[in-house]
Amino acid sequence: MGVFVFRRLLQGILVLLLVSAFTFFLVNLAPGGPSAAVSLERTAAEREALYRQYGLDKPVAVRYMQWLSGVVRGDLGTSLTQGLPVSGLLWQRLGNTLQLALTALVLTALLGVTLGVVAAVTQNRLPDHLISSVATLGMSVPGFWLGIVSIILFSVKLGWLPSSGVASVGQSFSLLDRAQHLVMPASVLAFTLLPNVVRVARSAMLEVLSSDYVRTAKAKGLPNRAVLLKHTFKNALVPVIAILGLITTVLFSGSVVIESVFSWPGLGRLAIEAANGRDYPVILGVTLVAGTIVVVVNLLVDVLYAAVDPRISYD
Amino acid sequence: MTSAVAAPPVRRGRFWRKVRRHPVGVAAFAVLCLLYLTVIAGPLLYPVSPEATDPLNILAAPGGAHPLGTDELGRDITARLIYGGRISLSVGLLSMLVGLTLGLVVGGTAGYFRGRVEGVLMRLVDVFMAIPSFFLLLVIVTVFGSHPLTIIVTVGLGFWAQMARVVYAEFSSYRGRDFIEAMHSLGASHLRIMVRHILPQVVPQAVVLATLGVGWAILSEAALSYIGLGIQPPLASWGNMLQNAQAYLYVNPMLAIYPGLCIAVAVLVFNLTGNALRDILDPRA
Amino acid sequence: MTRKLYSTVSFFLLMGVFGTAHAQTADFDPDATLTLATNADPTLNPWTPGAVVESNLINTLVFDQLVRYDKEDLTPAPALASSWEVAEDGLSWTFTLRDDVTWQDGEPFTADDVAFTFNDVVLVEELAANNGSSFGPVEAVEVINPTTVRFVLSEPFSSLPYYLAYYAGILPEHLLGDAENPLSVASFNKQTPVGTGAFQVAEFVPGSYVRLERNPSYWGGEPKVAGVVFSIVPDPNTQLAQVLAGELDMVTVSDPALLAGVANNPNLEIVEQSQNVYYFVALNQNDPRFQDVRVRQALLYAINRPAIIDSVLKGYGEIATGPIAPLQQALYESDVPNYPFDPEKAKELLAEAGWTPGPDGILAKDGVPLTIEMPTGQFGYLVPATLLVQQYWKDIGVQADVQVLEWNAYIQQMFVNRQYEATLAWWSTPPTPDVSPYYASSAAEAGQNIPGYKNAELDEIMAAGRGATSEEAQIETYREMQEFLARELPYLYLWYPDIVTVRNVRIEGMLDINNPAAFQYASEWYVALTP
Repeated sequence: MGVFVFRRLLQGILVLLLVSAFTFFLVNLAPGGPSAAVSLERTAAEREALYRQYGLDKPVAVRYMQWLSGVVRGDLGTSLTQGLPVSGLLWQRLGNTLQLALTALVLTALLGVTLGVVAAVTQNRLPDHLISSVATLGMSVPGFWLGIVSIILFSVKLGWLPSSGVASVGQSFSLLDRAQHLVMPASVLAFTLLPNVVRVARSAMLEVLSSDYVRTAKAKGLPNRAVLLKHTFKNALVPVIAILGLITTVLFSGSVVIESVFSWPGLGRLAIEAANGRDYPVILGVTLVAGTIVVVVNLLVDVLYAAVDPRISYD
Repeated sequence: MTSAVAAPPVRRGRFWRKVRRHPVGVAAFAVLCLLYLTVIAGPLLYPVSPEATDPLNILAAPGGAHPLGTDELGRDITARLIYGGRISLSVGLLSMLVGLTLGLVVGGTAGYFRGRVEGVLMRLVDVFMAIPSFFLLLVIVTVFGSHPLTIIVTVGLGFWAQMARVVYAEFSSYRGRDFIEAMHSLGASHLRIMVRHILPQVVPQAVVLATLGVGWAILSEAALSYIGLGIQPPLASWGNMLQNAQAYLYVNPMLAIYPGLCIAVAVLVFNLTGNALRDILDPRA
Repeated sequence: MTRKLYSTVSFFLLMGVFGTAHAQTADFDPDATLTLATNADPTLNPWTPGAVVESNLINTLVFDQLVRYDKEDLTPAPALASSWEVAEDGLSWTFTLRDDVTWQDGEPFTADDVAFTFNDVVLVEELAANNGSSFGPVEAVEVINPTTVRFVLSEPFSSLPYYLAYYAGILPEHLLGDAENPLSVASFNKQTPVGTGAFQVAEFVPGSYVRLERNPSYWGGEPKVAGVVFSIVPDPNTQLAQVLAGELDMVTVSDPALLAGVANNPNLEIVEQSQNVYYFVALNQNDPRFQDVRVRQALLYAINRPAIIDSVLKGYGEIATGPIAPLQQALYESDVPNYPFDPEKAKELLAEAGWTPGPDGILAKDGVPLTIEMPTGQFGYLVPATLLVQQYWKDIGVQADVQVLEWNAYIQQMFVNRQYEATLAWWSTPPTPDVSPYYASSAAEAGQNIPGYKNAELDEIMAAGRGATSEEAQIETYREMQEFLARELPYLYLWYPDIVTVRNVRIEGMLDINNPAAFQYASEWYVALTP
C-alpha cells in the first residue's frame, strides 16, 4: 500500500507538470493580453512599456522555466491585474470554494446515497419511480438557470435569502449569516450533482442485492435488515466512492458557473476573471490548485476503494 | 467498473422483448427522434429567418406572424428555437462522437497493449482527468475562439478521458483471458481481435455513456454560453438564447423558459434513453 | 397592517411635498452607511494600469484631485487647487493649492505631493500610468512654494484643467516617494491607501467588499454618511437583483434592457445622466472602399438610429452628431450635416460611388461584392447593436459578416492589430472639446484614432483649438471642427447614450448630473432620518 501511494504521488506530480506546461503554452497562444495593456485607453507605446514591466517581452519557453523555478521555490508569481502574490489570492479564494464545494458535497453524498438506496430497495415501485424521475429531471436542468431563477424567487420575490456573496457586508462574523449565504449556492450545486450519485448508488445497490453472496446470505436465513446493512451497503459503497471522486472534479467545474451566478468569491470566479483579463500567473495558479486537488482526491478514492472492498488490492 | 463475464450475444428476439418492457425509454427515444427531425426539417416547414432583426417589433407577444413572439432584437423566437436546436443538438451529438472515438481508441489501445503504451496513454488520461473539464473548456475557447467546431472538439475533450477509463478497464479485463491468447496464436491480428472480439463486449457500456454524454455536452454548451464563451450570435443556440434572455427575466421570462425547456427536454430524453438502454443492453438482466 | 400602510403612504406624500425643504435641514442619519456595487476587485490607486471602471468611483472618494467638475455644467471647478491661471503664451499654468488639507494619516498636503504625482508617476513613460498619455504636452510640474505649483508645457494645452478633473487623484509623496514603482505598492493599492478625500478605506476583503468610512477632518466638511461599502458583484443581473432586494443602494446599469424590472419599484428611482460618451461605427480608412466619403455617408444614412435607440437603448440616448456631446453646453453644435434614416439616399450615394446591385442583390463594383468584415466584442450592448446595423446594411445590399469575439480578443484584433473593416464601439472622454487623441493623423497607427483617419485640415483645426486662449476663439474653432467632422465622417456617429443609474430613494444630496461629479461631492450625500 505504501509503495502504491508513493508511486501514485510521483505520477501525480508528473501529471501536474504536464498540465501546467499545457496550460502555460495554451494561454500564451490566446489572442489578447493583460487587460491593463490591451484596452482602448492604451497607446502602443504604453502597451509596450507594460509588456516590459510584466516581463512579457521574453519568449514563452523562458517565461515557463522562470515560472517553474518559482513554483519549486513556492513562489507562484504576482497577479498582473491585482498586483498581489498569486498564492495569497489562491488561498483566499480556495477557502471560499472549499466551503461551498464541501457543503454541496456533503449534501449530495448524504441525500444522494439515501435516495439511491431507497430507490433500489423499492425497485420498480412508486418511491423508486419518483426518485428516478426527479433525479433525471435534475440532471437535465442547467445549473446556472436554476441559480438565477432561485435568486429571483427566494431573494427578490420572497426576500428570504441573500442573493450573493459569502457574508453580509460590514457586519461582524455570524454563523447564521454565513449559513444564510451558503444555502442557495450550495443547494443549487448539490441539486445539479445529486442525480449522478442517486443513479450510481441505486444501480450499485441493485447489483449487490442481486449478487450471489447476498442471495446466499438470504438463503442462509439471515433476517432481511441485517443482510441489507452488513453486506450490501458496504459493497455498494465502492462505485459510490468512485462517483464521489469524479464529482469533486465536476464540482470545481460546476462551481465556476455557480460562483458567477451567486457572486461567490471562489476559485471558479477567479478563473473566469483571470481568463477574461489574461492574468497569466493567476490562470496557471488556479489550474495548478484545481489539478492538485483532483490528483489528491483520485488517490484518496483509490485508497478508500481498497479499504472498503477487500477484493481490491494494490500490491 | 465491474468486469462482466464475456456474455453470450444478445439474441434479437430477446432484445425486442426487453425493449417492450421500457415504454418510457421508447417514448423518450421517439421524442428524441422527433426533436432531430424537427430541427432538420423544420426550416422547410417554417421558412422564417432566425437572424432577421426588426427593431420596430421587439419582444412581441406570441401570435400572428410570430407564433412564439419575438426576442429583444425582434427576431422570431420559433425560428431561433429551430435553428438553435440544430446547433445545440449537433454540438451535443458531435462532441459526444469526438469524445467516444478518442475514448475508444485511447482506452482500448491502453487496455489491450498494456506496458509502456498503457503507461503513456493512461497518464495522458490522468492529465485530462486532473484538469477540471470546465477550466479546460474555458481556456481552449478563450484561445481558439468560439467557432462551433472549436466548441464541439473542446466539449468532446472534456468527456473523452472518462470514456477512456471505462473502455480501458473493460479491455484490460479481457486482455488476460485465454480465448484472446488463443486467437492471437491462431494468427488473428491485434486490430482484428480488438475490433471483432473485445469491442462488442464494450458496446453496451459505451452506448450508455455516450447517450448520457450527449446530454452532458448540451448542458456544457449552455454553460459556456452563460459566461459568454459558447456559440456566438448571430448563430442561435439554445444556450446563447438563454444567456440573452437573462436580461429579460423580469419582463419576459418566457424568453428564458423556451430555450431552457428545450435544453431540459433534450437532455431528459437522452438521459431516459440512456437509462433504458442500460437495462436493455445489460446481459445479466 | 392598515396603519402601517397608511404611515408609509403619508411618508412618501411628505417627501413629495416637503422634499426640498427637507433637504436643507441637517436632519440626517449620521450613522447611515451606503452600499454600492463594483464589478471586480478594485485597485486603490487612480493611476495604476488596470485600475479602470471597477476602481474609478472608489478612488474618487478616497483621492481628491486638483480640479473637479462644476455641479451645474461640468466645467472645471476648484478642489485641492483653489484657483489657477494660464500664462499669456499658454505654455504654463499656475495652480494655487488649499493650505488646510491633510492626508488621511494626518500628514499635511503640500505642493510636493502634486509634483511627485506628476513628475514621478504620471509623466514617467515606463510606468504607463492610466491616462498618462493625456498629459503629453506637460513637461514637468514645478514647486513654487508649498501652496503653489506650475505646470510647464511644451505646447498650449487649453484642456489641461479638464484632464485634471478626470480621474486624476493626487498621491501622497510621504508614503509612495521611496517605492521603486509607486503604482505597484500592494499594501497601498490593496489594503490601506491614503488620500485626502472624504472617505478613507477601513477594510478591503478581496473578492467581497471594500468598506470606506468618513474622513472626519475632510477639508470640505465632515461627510454626512458614516460609510460607503462597495460590494464586489461581477454579474450585472445579480447587481440589479440586489438593488431590487434592497441589498444595494445604487447601481449603474450598462445595458438598459435590464431596467425593465425596476420600473414598478417605489423604493427605486432611475437617474439618467450624461457623460461625454458617443457610440460610433469605425470604417477602416486603410480600406480604399471607405476612403470615399460618399460610401461613409451612405452607410450612415442606411442606419435607422432612432429605432436602435428605442429598441436596444430602450430610449435612453439621443442621436449623435459628433464627438462633442450636448453636455458641453457652451461648445456643442447641433447645426451640422445630419443623416436621417434614408435607405434610398444611401443607395443613390453608393451608386454614385460606383456600387450597383449585383445578381444576388448585393452591391458590387467591378464585379467585387460589397462585403464587410465586422468583428464585435462581448461588452454591454455592442453585439445586439452590431446585429441591427448589419440588418440595415443588408437592406441596402451591403453584406456585413459579423464575428463575435470575447472582449479581450476583440480589443487585440480591432484596436491593437487594427484587423477589421468596420466595427461598432464607443469613446468615453472627459468633457473637453479637444478630441485630437482620437482624430489626429499622428494617432492613426499607434494611438486611439481607430479608423486611421488622416486629414491635414482637421489636424490644423484641432491644433488651433488647443492653442486658443480666448473663449470666443475656442467656440468658433470647435464649431468649425464639428461641422467638418459631421461632413467628413471619420467615424459614423451613432448616439450619445444616457448613463442610467438606479438609486434607492433613501440616498439624498447626490448630484444627478453624472456619477464622476456626484462622487466628487460625496461629503454632501446623506440619508434622511426616518420619523
